[in-house]
Amino acid sequence: MRAIKAIAWKDFKTIVFSPTFFIIAFLCSAIWGSNFMRAVIQFAYQSSNPMQLGGGNLNLHYNLFVSLVSFVNIIFIFAIPAITMKLISEEKKQKSYDLLLTSPITSTDIAVGKFVAGFGVSLLLIGITLFYPMLLSFFAKFSWTVLLVAYAGLVLVTALYVALGLLASSITQSSVLSVILGIVFNLILWLMAQAAMSAKGSAAVEFFEYISVPNQLYAFLKGTMSVGGLVFFLSVIIFFVFLTQRMIEATRWR
Amino acid sequence: MIKVKNLTKVYGDRKAIDNLSFEIAKGEVVGFLGPNGAGKSTTMKIITGFMAPTSGEAMIGGEDVFENPVAVKKKIGYLPEAPPLYPEMKVKDYLKFVAELKSVPADKIKEYIDYALSATQLNEVAHRRIENLSKGFRQRVGIAQALVSQPEVLILDEPTVGLDPNQVAEIRSLINSLKGKHTIIFSTHILSEVQATCERYIIINEGKIISHKSLVSEAGASQKVIKTLCFNESGMNGLVAKLNSLKFVNSVKVNGKELIISFEGESSHIAELSKVIATSEAGLVSFSIEQDSLEDVFIKLTSKKESKDGGNQ
Ligand SMILES: Nc1ncnc2c1ncn2[C@@H]1O[C@H](COP(=O)(O)OP(=O)(O)O)[C@@H](O)[C@H]1O
Ligand SMILES: [Mg+2]
Repeated sequence: MRAIKAIAWKDFKTIVFSPTFFIIAFLCSAIWGSNFMRAVIQFAYQSSNPMQLGGGNLNLHYNLFVSLVSFVNIIFIFAIPAITMKLISEEKKQKSYDLLLTSPITSTDIAVGKFVAGFGVSLLLIGITLFYPMLLSFFAKFSWTVLLVAYAGLVLVTALYVALGLLASSITQSSVLSVILGIVFNLILWLMAQAAMSAKGSAAVEFFEYISVPNQLYAFLKGTMSVGGLVFFLSVIIFFVFLTQRMIEATRWR
Repeated sequence: MIKVKNLTKVYGDRKAIDNLSFEIAKGEVVGFLGPNGAGKSTTMKIITGFMAPTSGEAMIGGEDVFENPVAVKKKIGYLPEAPPLYPEMKVKDYLKFVAELKSVPADKIKEYIDYALSATQLNEVAHRRIENLSKGFRQRVGIAQALVSQPEVLILDEPTVGLDPNQVAEIRSLINSLKGKHTIIFSTHILSEVQATCERYIIINEGKIISHKSLVSEAGASQKVIKTLCFNESGMNGLVAKLNSLKFVNSVKVNGKELIISFEGESSHIAELSKVIATSEAGLVSFSIEQDSLEDVFIKLTSKKESKDGGNQ
């Protein structure tokens, strides 16, 4: 437990104080900010237009927040692998991996500690996006509960990207390759949703719908939190952290 | 303390170490000597639990490294070939991180860090970032890292490689100052390193142990070598036979008109040898006492390797 904390804290600080994180945080806030502003202006124009149907709370949620969180999600597919790229690959390159592998700690400690570090940094990025709804709450009324459920979905899918990015980082010594692999893994997740559409037979369709990340995320975005969705995300995250642990363990038995 | 039995490691189709066995007692300082590629690092990586052997076993303090990895690793401080540093960290923060990894009790961390910093004379750079330190300092941080958990066993892989002579001397005196506090095994391809710091050496070449001796024999006298030049070759056979009959002489080699005699080096033996040689038929030209036999063993070993390599080309 102590080793997990030590590793997580060390890697968290390393990432947060790195130029990479600074650039990513800056770019993300710029992109999200301008995108959100545009959505707000468009929404204000539409709701003042008598031809539109009335603009209740839910509408604001759908038109603004669902699109905000979906947009953040799309950026994260590319940004999270850049956050996690060095978690393991750099240890291998710098030979500091020898220290971790000869310390009295388990491969699980290493995998979990590094996952927590990457997840912690991602939460900082998510925190930036909370600025927009907070700003809006001064001008408009909306349901925070529904919004927080949508954010819970975002947090879960982000944790999944962190787990995949960590796995990518454990495969190579090169941070460039690690980013590319991480992005490919994330895209594969989204492409798997296509399999659901081409599936035949109701059981198969049900199965593919369950394992489809877009479906699961969309349920959260709509404001419905289900135990099934929670279990889905948590088990997939644990599975990929476990695969990373196997990768670390494998280096001991070359 | 350290026990290695029939250790073999195969990389692909290449045997890096071949059926290695040795034991190191508690408190010993042992030099692990061999040319590049001999298998020194491979052996150390197995003892420290970095990787598993192909076959054989490694034990530390009676526990198998791969059966009880966590317990065994608590007893080890290890400096790998390349010091395992994080360039962006400050020296003190780095040592704290290592101490936490090595599960140093929370109330001891400060004391242990101070010990490692002062043992390696890093106090004045404790708050500098590692990437801004010179190579010599970085190597010392690497050693401080191995020391910070105050381990029973210190395993140092070529601690002086790439350093300038002053820095080498510093590291040597550091290792000397650690004698008695830890069981130390360190590898090197430089002979004088072993002579300067070790009580015992293990010479390894092409994955096999070539020689395995104490620099200090039971009687407290080290093995010595005398080189003698004679002018009368015809009388030399009789001299060699006579020398071989002496109890304290280990070996006599004839090299043209030169004799290389290795023996248990006590002063009374030297007096007796000089008398025997001076009064023989061979006729004495010169008589010189070499430091000890280690150099001969090592030079023979490395030159044999070179001539073999040359023959292959
Ligand atoms: N990871 C590896 N893969 C393949 N061969 C290796 C590897 N590491 C070392 N070797 C080979 O094993 C032999 C012993 O290497 P090493 O233990 O590093 O020697 P030393 O430390 O004595 O210089 C060398 O021939 C080296 O080329
Ligand atoms: Mg080596």
